[in-house]
Amino acid sequence: MEMIRVNNLKKSFAGLNVLNDVSFSVNKGETVAVIGHSGSGKSTMLRCLINLERADGGDIIIEGEYLARGGEYPPAKESRRICAKMGMVFQNFNLFPHISVLNNLIYAPVYVMNEKPVSAKERAAQVLKTVGLSDKISAMPRELSGGQKQRVAIARQLMTNPDVLLFDEPTSSLDPQLTGEVLAVMKDLSKKRMTMVVVTHEMGFARSAADRVIFMGDGRIVEEGKPEDIFTNPKDERVKQFIGSIII
Amino acid sequence: MSYIIQLTMSMLDGIKYTVGLFGITLLLSMPIGLILCFVRSGKNKVLSSVVGAYVWLMRGTPLLLQLYFFCYGLTFLPFVGQYLVMGRFQSACVAFVLNYAAYFCEIFRGGMLSVDTGQFEAAKVLGFSKWQANIRIIIPQMLKVSLPPISNESITLVKDTALVTAIGITEILYFAKSAVNRDVNVSAYIVAAAFFLALTYALTALFKYLENKFSF
Repeated sequence: MEMIRVNNLKKSFAGLNVLNDVSFSVNKGETVAVIGHSGSGKSTMLRCLINLERADGGDIIIEGEYLARGGEYPPAKESRRICAKMGMVFQNFNLFPHISVLNNLIYAPVYVMNEKPVSAKERAAQVLKTVGLSDKISAMPRELSGGQKQRVAIARQLMTNPDVLLFDEPTSSLDPQLTGEVLAVMKDLSKKRMTMVVVTHEMGFARSAADRVIFMGDGRIVEEGKPEDIFTNPKDERVKQFIGSIII
Repeated sequence: MSYIIQLTMSMLDGIKYTVGLFGITLLLSMPIGLILCFVRSGKNKVLSSVVGAYVWLMRGTPLLLQLYFFCYGLTFLPFVGQYLVMGRFQSACVAFVLNYAAYFCEIFRGGMLSVDTGQFEAAKVLGFSKWQANIRIIIPQMLKVSLPPISNESITLVKDTALVTAIGITEILYFAKSAVNRDVNVSAYIVAAAFFLALTYALTALFKYLENKFSF
């Protein structure tokens, strides 16, 4: 089943074309890694999927419903409903600094989805356990390390039971030691067949955990395929150069 | 000594206007300022510029002028003037609230600008509506940053209440001035100063407490 379908997505900032006719799809249970140079449009593409950026043209279809159709969007309430099926993990975690880890986890279920606080708290304890942070339930965000913050951010998004999780360079602001603990959580989710789109510079993750890799350059999809093919036998010259320039 | 006590007693009578004006102004101008801040930062360009002009007007003219305007000037407005007759204390409250709302608008706007855009985005992807995000996520973080300037502004407000002596409201300074003139003795000013110092001391302590509470 197709969870995300993107047709001819276009986006420009102040006359600069960031996305040129990007088309791809993501199936249920699939982990798709999006790689490429900085400025290739990866993050912008991801942000378009969840309506943090507005596309100028093209279609974005989420589980059969149009978030954008020829660059036209439905009313805010409708687009919010469609995007509620997805969650996003940011490079800078974006935890809410003024409330505890527990409240970070239960605010959306309680205030947006009208879940009873008691049941949300129970679920929060379970979800925190899956990311290995049971002991941090009453900590404040500032008391956590970067890796812990990112794991809380993932847990917070899992609390809304998304069908699709989008990751925007989730380990780019972490020390190498802390990257591992976040990637472990992501690999675990991938194994459980969570549908994931991961914009990343972690080639090890793209190679070992992704079902499919999309290489972007200059706002286009340059090459797309199984990780083995992209990493060992890239066809496009730019991909060859990119793969050759990195150490896995 | 008995003279000092006598002065203090008479000024205690005036403190109700000082504290009353202070309380009413703070209580009303902060929420109005918060609303103005959201309109100013909102998407509607027209409303935003209207608030911008309002802030410019209120911050750009002397509070004393505004006080005279609302106390003595309003009734001379053509057509509507006759309906705008207020007591002196009421007109002082109106002038103060409108003036301070403009300052609070800018204080809150500063607070809002300091909240990382990632916070808005995180709230959005978690499904919060704009309204919910503002109340649960953005405003608490704005307040933290806004507290020191709010504290500053409140202390200024305590002292600004002395201006209403100019329209004949019998607050602390009014008593002090009459006592000095009557008794040819400077003590009354010193007693009045002590009153203001006590009030601002209490305020400073209160805001210190609040800042600790908001130190997340």
